[in-house]
Amino acid sequence: MDLSIVIPLYNEEESVDAMHAEVRAAADRLGVDYEVILVDDGSRDGTVEKLRAISERDPHVKVVRFRRNYGQTAALQAGFDQARGTVVITLDGDLQNDPNDFGLLLDNVNQGYDVVCGWRKDRKDKMISRRLPSMAANWLIGALTGTRIHDNGCTLKAYRLDVIRKASLYAEMHRFMAPMMCQSGCRYKEVEVNHRARQFGSSKYGISRIWKVFLDLLTVKMLLGFTTRPAAYFALLAVPFLGGALAALAVSVYLHLIMQPGAAYPLVFPAITILLTFASAHLLVVGVFAELVVKTGDFKETAALLSVVDGGIRS
Amino acid sequence: MKRGRLRGEPEVSVIIPVVERAGDLRQIFNEFAAELDRLGKSAEHIFVVDDRLREVVPLLRSLQEESEREIVIVVLGGRFGESAALTSGLERARGEVVVTLPSYFQVEPRGLEAAFKELESGADLVVGQRFPRIDSFFNRIQTRLFHWFVRRLTSTSFHDVSCGFKVMRRQVGRELNLYGGLHRFIPVLALHRGFTVREIPVAQRTEDRRTRYYGAGVYFGRLLDLLNIFFLMKFTRTPLRFFGLLGAGLFGLGFLVSLVAVLEKFMFQVGLSDRAILLLGVLMMVLGVQTLSLGLIGEIIIWTHARNVREYRVAEVIRRPSRVGGFPEVGRRESPGLDGALQAS
Repeated sequence: MDLSIVIPLYNEEESVDAMHAEVRAAADRLGVDYEVILVDDGSRDGTVEKLRAISERDPHVKVVRFRRNYGQTAALQAGFDQARGTVVITLDGDLQNDPNDFGLLLDNVNQGYDVVCGWRKDRKDKMISRRLPSMAANWLIGALTGTRIHDNGCTLKAYRLDVIRKASLYAEMHRFMAPMMCQSGCRYKEVEVNHRARQFGSSKYGISRIWKVFLDLLTVKMLLGFTTRPAAYFALLAVPFLGGALAALAVSVYLHLIMQPGAAYPLVFPAITILLTFASAHLLVVGVFAELVVKTGDFKETAALLSVVDGGIRS
Repeated sequence: MKRGRLRGEPEVSVIIPVVERAGDLRQIFNEFAAELDRLGKSAEHIFVVDDRLREVVPLLRSLQEESEREIVIVVLGGRFGESAALTSGLERARGEVVVTLPSYFQVEPRGLEAAFKELESGADLVVGQRFPRIDSFFNRIQTRLFHWFVRRLTSTSFHDVSCGFKVMRRQVGRELNLYGGLHRFIPVLALHRGFTVREIPVAQRTEDRRTRYYGAGVYFGRLLDLLNIFFLMKFTRTPLRFFGLLGAGLFGLGFLVSLVAVLEKFMFQVGLSDRAILLLGVLMMVLGVQTLSLGLIGEIIIWTHARNVREYRVAEVIRRPSRVGGFPEVGRRESPGLDGALQAS
């Protein structure tokens, strides 16, 4: 199979039929062997019934129904897990992405790019509540991951399936899917895509809570470092504590030297010395332990990560 | 020969774990079996006996001899507790619907009818709420308080999670993965796995009243179990969110305390060597970093050992019937899943 189109849906009762018709028309025009994977993320309206009807009509369609709402990352992950195409295209189920851009994305993948991201240059959303926070988040994501993409929030993206299989999605990573995939080394490109105003329903996903993005990013960033060379990173964490311990030791010795005979010796500084020494030693031990954990882990996949961080392909 | 066996698979499996105390098992069995007959359901009865209550086995044996119905007796090899007993019973259950009953008089058999109706209308698990509750004042207060915590921590709306009377689809039982004290939180666990759970009021037996006073210690233990569940449900995939927040908070607090002590030295000439509070500040910073490093270890373990754990649960995969495979495909691709992680903990 050449192409899997993954579409997460959550309470899209009104738009799902129109969306399916458009996607089908666009995909048929591509002239490739394709499947459409519709992931229902625990909708509470009539979406599921509509999806059943659609899967009856269209043999290309496969519907994955969640037991409850798990969020967009999980929905995309489920779609990826089911996908069998060499290329996977994801898009929003709300008709804001234009299925006619499939061809453009696919062409770029065929030119050798692993991840091709849609860029809604002309975005049809509110400036203050949606576009400004999203600009800030995109800048942050670019600065922290090194994968500079203007529009991480755009779901319309194309990936090669083997790149997807290498990455592992975490918590709410749909907000920076492309940088995540590219941590395992990839060639990525941005293409301008069409963006349409919402016709039905209301928006459910998007980069809205920057602090969450920030926390997730920090975790990912840390993880990438810590899983490749845990002992070294934990040792780095121990350095300030060791420095503090040495400083406190110096103060203790100094106090001892200048002290009048018979005066009470203040125990605060020696105590701090002990505490900080203990902390840095603990961190070093934890680092060695982490090394053990990583070595016994799923080595094939960590090895892929290792090769990347040690100067693998980055475009 | 036993009637049930001739008829093949029973519709309902009744599981009675006999673990802590046993009431008149014969009477419980008779009453519920009669009610099941009235409702026209074929049933098997599975008694799972913990080693502690071995003395009921002869009674169950004679019951098995006398009765026309299908009775299975499972005796556990040790004192494994109720979660293990339930799991063992659930593994053997052959009916599409599983009913669990406490081994003493707790609720009236009449509750079955309403529970079955709820199942038919789409619920996956129906739990009984003993209502109106007959219990000592002290116990009632404790229960109220405990359930307030449960509702708060798990954002659910249950009033009687530990009521032994439950009716569920077999699939629910298969996925619960009970251990330790988790059997008391079955509704919460099932809801978290995405099943539809409903609570129905069930008339309580008057015999249930002559019960024990639970000491405060009992509920303290349960509260610990609850915290365990809360943690596993929320942070199994993202331990750093928990440890990181806790660690960062501690570190920040410690940093502030130390900063104040240092500032005071420069502004008011208070000698640092006399300030024990500085020690507290440093201690908190150390604790903070250690907590954080534990969270990091947690993340590393998940990242390197459980990459394929999936947070989501698929209800079904729907495809046009003419294509390969059956329709609907229920629960395909349900790889390790969270239960793996829960069990490993």
